[in-house]
Amino acid sequence: MSDQTQKEPQAHEAQKPAEAKGPGPQEHPQSADAHVAPARPAEGRPPGGRPPEGRSRGEGRPGEGRGNGRGPREGGREGAKRGRRGFFRKKKVCRFCVDRVDYIDYKKPEQLMTFIQERGKIVPRRITGTCSRHQRWLAEAIKRARNIALMPFGGAR
Amino acid sequence: MEERLYDLIFICRPATPEEEIDKIIATLENTVAERGGKVEKKEKWGARKMAYRVMRHREGYYVLMVVRAAQSDTVHELERRLKVNDAVIKYMTVRLDEDMKRQKRLQQRRERKASRRPRAPRAGHGHPGGEQPAAAVQQQ
Repeated sequence: MSDQTQKEPQAHEAQKPAEAKGPGPQEHPQSADAHVAPARPAEGRPPGGRPPEGRSRGEGRPGEGRGNGRGPREGGREGAKRGRRGFFRKKKVCRFCVDRVDYIDYKKPEQLMTFIQERGKIVPRRITGTCSRHQRWLAEAIKRARNIALMPFGGAR
Repeated sequence: MEERLYDLIFICRPATPEEEIDKIIATLENTVAERGGKVEKKEKWGARKMAYRVMRHREGYYVLMVVRAAQSDTVHELERRLKVNDAVIKYMTVRLDEDMKRQKRLQQRRERKASRRPRAPRAGHGHPGGEQPAAAVQQQ
């Protein structure tokens, strides 16, 4: 508990300056996007997702004419420099939201395995970046899978 | 009563002969049919490693059935039959219809959103600059 209370204000501090010193009010959503965008390839999205839809949407956007001029990398670097303590904290995105998952299937333990620790614990969402709703579904799916011996309760044997 | 959808998974001892497993499946199907239900899907996953030992077995023969039950005692009876059978070492029933309903609702909502505003603010997901590296990663 104490661990949490300590951590939260820190996280706020790290984010606030990044927002406050933004280049301008209109560019806000832009830079926010930029934070997200470079993180995705590194994150290694599961191939089962729905990238085609996302891409077609993205192609619709260049009509606005802003996005192409400044690459997302720029935004990312700016964000990096702005952290008060000087190190860059990558913004985490819920992987299920990116893929627009509506149901997490407990019958696919291979997918769920990435969300448990070595000793079988469910990885907290402050580490994976999963949103609260998906974490809830995920936890349920993992627990169901454990029940029918598809996933371990305490570390693979 | 409205119909309910269930996942019924059970695990048999790995040494169980195939015919016996088929027999178990047949009796379960009968039980469901007697009560006005329907077996929508049956899958034999075959022998696979279990994540932990169950009754000293490390492997088990998994069978999945998706059951649409019309009567409330269907699941009770199915579970009773599985409990009685010696070949079955583990089983689980999960109610699915509520999850499916939720899934459908979310899907519909998203479609509605997409049709209402073709260029919704969430299009930020598909940032034009961000797509390049993503595509590159997938090609590799």
